[in-house]
Amino acid sequence: LASSVRWSYSLQRSDNEEQSGHGEQRASPARMPFGRKQLPPIPKNAAPITKPSPLGTPMQSANGTHASYGPFYLEYSLLAEFTLVIKQKLPGIYVQPSHKSALMWFGVIFIRHGLYQDGVFKFTVYIPDNYPDGECPKLVFDIPVFHPLVDPVSGELDVRRAFTKWRRNHNHIWQVLMYARTVFYKINTTDPLNPEAAVLYEKDVQLFKSKVVDSVKLCNSHLFDQPKIDDPYAISFSPWNPAVHEEAKERMFTYKRRPEDHHKVSQASGLSWVKPGSTQPFSKEDNPPQS
Amino acid sequence: MMASVVANGNRDGQSLVLKGVDPETCMIVFKNHWAQVVKILEKHDPLRSSSALPSLSVINLTASSSGSSRFGPIPGDEASAVQNYVEHMLFLLMEEESGQAGAMGPILEFVVMENVMERLFVWSLRREFTDDMKLEQLKMYEMLVGQARQPLLHHKPILRPLMMLLSSCSSTTAPAVEAELVLLLNQLCYVLAKDPSILELFFHTSEDQGATNFLIFSLLIPFIHREGTVGQQARDALLLIMSLSAENERVAKHIAENTFFCPVLATGLSGLYSSLPTKLDVPNEEWHCLHKEDWLQMPSLIQFLNSLEFCNAVIQVAHPDIRDQLVSYIYNGFLVPVLAPALHKLTLEEVMTTTAYLDLFLRSVTEPALLQTFLSFILLHRHENVHILDTLVSRINTPFQLGIVSLALFRTLIGLYCEDVMLQLVLRYLIPCNHMMLSQRRVVRERDCYSASAAKILALTPSCCSPDRSPPPLRQLDSILFSKGGETPDNSGNTEEKKSFSEENDGSGNSCTIGSEIYLDVSYLHYLYDARLSISSCIRACQVWSAPYDGEDPPPEKYQPGVLEEPGLTSRQPQMALKKAQRPFALQAGSCVPPGTDPLPVNQLELEWDDSYDACPVQTADASAERGPPQPPPAEPPKHIQEMRRTARMLVKGSYIEENDFQDDVMVYDLIAKKDSGDVERTGKPSGSQTEETKPGSAEVPLKNGLNLTVPSPAMVDNSSNSLDAKANGQTDCNANLQNTTAVELGDDLLAQYEELIRTLDHEAGGKPVKADGEVKKPITPVEVVVVEEDEMDFASFSAETPEPEKLHSPFGTINRFRSGSATKNNSLPFTGPFISVLLSRLENMLSNSLHVNLLLTGILAQLAAYPQPLLRSFLLNTNLVFQPTVRSLYQVLAIVKNQIEELAASKKDFTELITAAQHWLMAREPSFIETDKSGGSSGSNHQEGGRILKNSPPPKPKAISLERTEVFATVLFTEFLKELAAIAQEHSILSYIPMEE
Repeated sequence: LASSVRWSYSLQRSDNEEQSGHGEQRASPARMPFGRKQLPPIPKNAAPITKPSPLGTPMQSANGTHASYGPFYLEYSLLAEFTLVIKQKLPGIYVQPSHKSALMWFGVIFIRHGLYQDGVFKFTVYIPDNYPDGECPKLVFDIPVFHPLVDPVSGELDVRRAFTKWRRNHNHIWQVLMYARTVFYKINTTDPLNPEAAVLYEKDVQLFKSKVVDSVKLCNSHLFDQPKIDDPYAISFSPWNPAVHEEAKERMFTYKRRPEDHHKVSQASGLSWVKPGSTQPFSKEDNPPQS
Repeated sequence: MMASVVANGNRDGQSLVLKGVDPETCMIVFKNHWAQVVKILEKHDPLRSSSALPSLSVINLTASSSGSSRFGPIPGDEASAVQNYVEHMLFLLMEEESGQAGAMGPILEFVVMENVMERLFVWSLRREFTDDMKLEQLKMYEMLVGQARQPLLHHKPILRPLMMLLSSCSSTTAPAVEAELVLLLNQLCYVLAKDPSILELFFHTSEDQGATNFLIFSLLIPFIHREGTVGQQARDALLLIMSLSAENERVAKHIAENTFFCPVLATGLSGLYSSLPTKLDVPNEEWHCLHKEDWLQMPSLIQFLNSLEFCNAVIQVAHPDIRDQLVSYIYNGFLVPVLAPALHKLTLEEVMTTTAYLDLFLRSVTEPALLQTFLSFILLHRHENVHILDTLVSRINTPFQLGIVSLALFRTLIGLYCEDVMLQLVLRYLIPCNHMMLSQRRVVRERDCYSASAAKILALTPSCCSPDRSPPPLRQLDSILFSKGGETPDNSGNTEEKKSFSEENDGSGNSCTIGSEIYLDVSYLHYLYDARLSISSCIRACQVWSAPYDGEDPPPEKYQPGVLEEPGLTSRQPQMALKKAQRPFALQAGSCVPPGTDPLPVNQLELEWDDSYDACPVQTADASAERGPPQPPPAEPPKHIQEMRRTARMLVKGSYIEENDFQDDVMVYDLIAKKDSGDVERTGKPSGSQTEETKPGSAEVPLKNGLNLTVPSPAMVDNSSNSLDAKANGQTDCNANLQNTTAVELGDDLLAQYEELIRTLDHEAGGKPVKADGEVKKPITPVEVVVVEEDEMDFASFSAETPEPEKLHSPFGTINRFRSGSATKNNSLPFTGPFISVLLSRLENMLSNSLHVNLLLTGILAQLAAYPQPLLRSFLLNTNLVFQPTVRSLYQVLAIVKNQIEELAASKKDFTELITAAQHWLMAREPSFIETDKSGGSSGSNHQEGGRILKNSPPPKPKAISLERTEVFATVLFTEFLKELAAIAQEHSILSYIPMEE
């Protein structure tokens, strides 16, 4: 007899929220590209270090803020940079901050046409720790690509020529990445880091081209190597393995559609009876109940 | 008794026995039994008609229920013989499987042919139709309906006697019969829900009998508000019918047009509300809202919430017609006539209590349509010409519990993520972008890439609270290794990571060059985490909003604030119920009554209706002055409104008679009308009942120091001015309003008490910068509340000329006058709205606020700051935005408080020590906070407070510190609040720019 239909439908708004909030937080610990992982985890049982603070005077940086928050500002500046990169949707460029430090980003660039066609170049971006007030970030290819602007030994790309002075608010890391892409399509030979490449390009393009092809081949042959830097978020390639990749691919393709309807369902709590274009409360004519 | 045997007895045994018996044998047994029964029945049937029943009109139900038997007594042995036979027959019928292809089983067919059930019913009428007899019959049907293996109710010969039985039970008052009746009805509803095809039969059968259409529904109505199992079952059953109505137009139409369902529900709320305590025993100063453990102690409140939740559920499942009607009745039958006056009662305590109830109701209601009703009541309804919202906002600034409870109410409101609420509270004042310099508009959407605002906010940290300074257990500094290669680590915990990292250097000399080990404020991580949670859930919730509020959409230039004051808006509720007819009268219909006069001589027996129909809508003085040209005469109320009003008045006076077939069933009608008038009697005259309960003009407010303070009522204050000459006028003005003898007797003490109060408050306010002094006193000085009848000049001048409007506060709310004024003034003066200004002015007084006020206050500001709308976000958090000189920003206020703290710290030697003690105290409080939150579970926002105070700390040994040292606690809280705001600002710089995923 007991009523199967209870009418105590009083949802605890707060509870739901909390649940959904936590759920969401938990949902993506591993792959989150712009999560909060960049700070190394606090050692669980390390007692708070009670090193006497330097002579009792609070450490204040030049602009009067507390030094103990400085890393947070840096961290968030970098996160902001990263979200800008995402927004730019740079063609053929993928980056991911390292697990260990927000100042080090792993990346890979796919060259789709031109002299360096089919090149897949992994690189690492190093950002100075006084960002955004310091020097321009560095971009170093894992394998020194044969290119006038790439150091044949270190693999570092000459970025500074494009950003002689790094200006906060004007210069962003996505621009560096964009620049790294451009150099493979528009060859510049002035003040080269690799004079041999520069000279060849000027004097013997055919030889230059064949050297580039060799270089691209070399890079691609090392594609499946272990990442140069051991980091959980380092970019690593492996041969196609359906058992591993099929599912991921599936998810990538279905993902596009999902966020939309996912929202429709889970948009828990918002309310609005304001007619679009109106600034009057309860102006929706038919005021259908929101659901 | 037959039924009891049936109910308790050998049911199982019997069915076991029957399992093996073949249907034909059963049929034979059944027929045999019936033959025996018929013999006895016919023997006592005066008409001796063979099978056809004497027409029902002969057997008058009322007469038979009177208990007298017309045709002579029936011998007991014969009666019990019938019982025995019937008992067996019922088992056989119950156990019979339906025939092939859903055909009737042979027994059922026989029952239908022979009209067995009806004849048995008549037989029981023939005997004394006592309560016991009814009980017996009800149980019999309950068993049949519940356990029969084939559908029975499709057959009129079974349905009809059932309906007759139900009708005859409608007038019963015996609890046992009621319980059984409701149980049976409940079962019938389940059958209906499973098989809606029966529905038609229920209608037709009723008509045949001249009984109420859809009798089972009407019978349930009286039990809607009943306590206990009976009420619960009735409500469950009604809900089943409600969900049926969503599918079935006819049911919906019937319920909406021919029954009392909606009015009974709504007026029931009013009735239950009137039995709630008008004053709550507040357990402690910290108390600010009704948690579950509070209201579980209050049976009357539980009952109210039950009914409210029922309304909520009905609105959720019922047909839109019913939903709209119910919502309309709740608005016009509960909110406006009952809750509005209750919010304007005469004493602080009563008003505080009502506010706490309203807060609880808002937290209990989940159905958007019902929530909308409550919200439009708060936002748009005007009580005595003042918007409820304005009154509530102004009360934030009251001292005592009312201020805290009001804050808690706004915490709830803001937590709804409702665009309409936020629009009225804050956004409408920001849309024109008048609060900032013209050149700054582009800054609104600007992104703070480098956490500049966060840094500026954190730089306000008082030097005595610097994270580098706190002694070890409190200092949450930790060495977070911000990876850097090549540095020799001194912390073994981090060595490995460092090493491995430096080993990973690619050999080219490129390594992350990150500064050396830095001590970080680890607690800040929690703030970042919480900020992320609250912002992202807010962003998600606000996706349903109509506009981004980014300084471009809605466009600042096109903003028309005047429209918001449209007087007819509140009428949308009745309008809605009646098919959304166009409202024919002009907007802003007339402003001919001077403000300050009472436009509504409210008849005690009338429900209060939207002001705009009963009287000329009253405009504020400056508004009418501004508009200049005479307004068109007020329009006649639309016809449907008049109709509705008439109906409601009749209902209130107990003279409501439903038209059409409903009135045919006298008994049911009587029953319901009785219930109705009972409910309405109690609730229909809210003003009358109030004046009986309360002493007009007096309000006893127990103060902390134990003295009783009498202050004038909020309702009167609404008409008052902000005279600063309060002290001089205080006594006379108050006395003028103290008609009540008790209050007059207090008269002499009154002045002394006021003076005492002022002294206390002055003392509290002491030590603040001179500039702030005036403001500090104002909000907490009830003496200012001077009743000046019909003095509209003051309002006009205030609203038109006062340059810093947000500094005008009275404890009970005249601010709204100003607000309406400013809103209609093309926003010539930069003004961020009363809500923001009242919050900021309370924040400015942080050092003298109690800990609990500050917790709520900072909690609300943090809630606001989490909203993603650029207008709001930039106003609260962007420290680079340049505001108009008259606009106060959050940052400015924070800077003022910081300076106050620095002065204090410099002047008091033991300040640092006290701060440490307060930090300990707060941390010790933390775990208990979380616990109460869990068990209470009713407040959505507690976790925010909880999360904000130094989590993750070892249980400290608190040094004694008195809560009276508000300035010490405020300092600690202030420091934490800065972190919270900074964390929110930082998270905004990330979250608001990420395309939403997951």
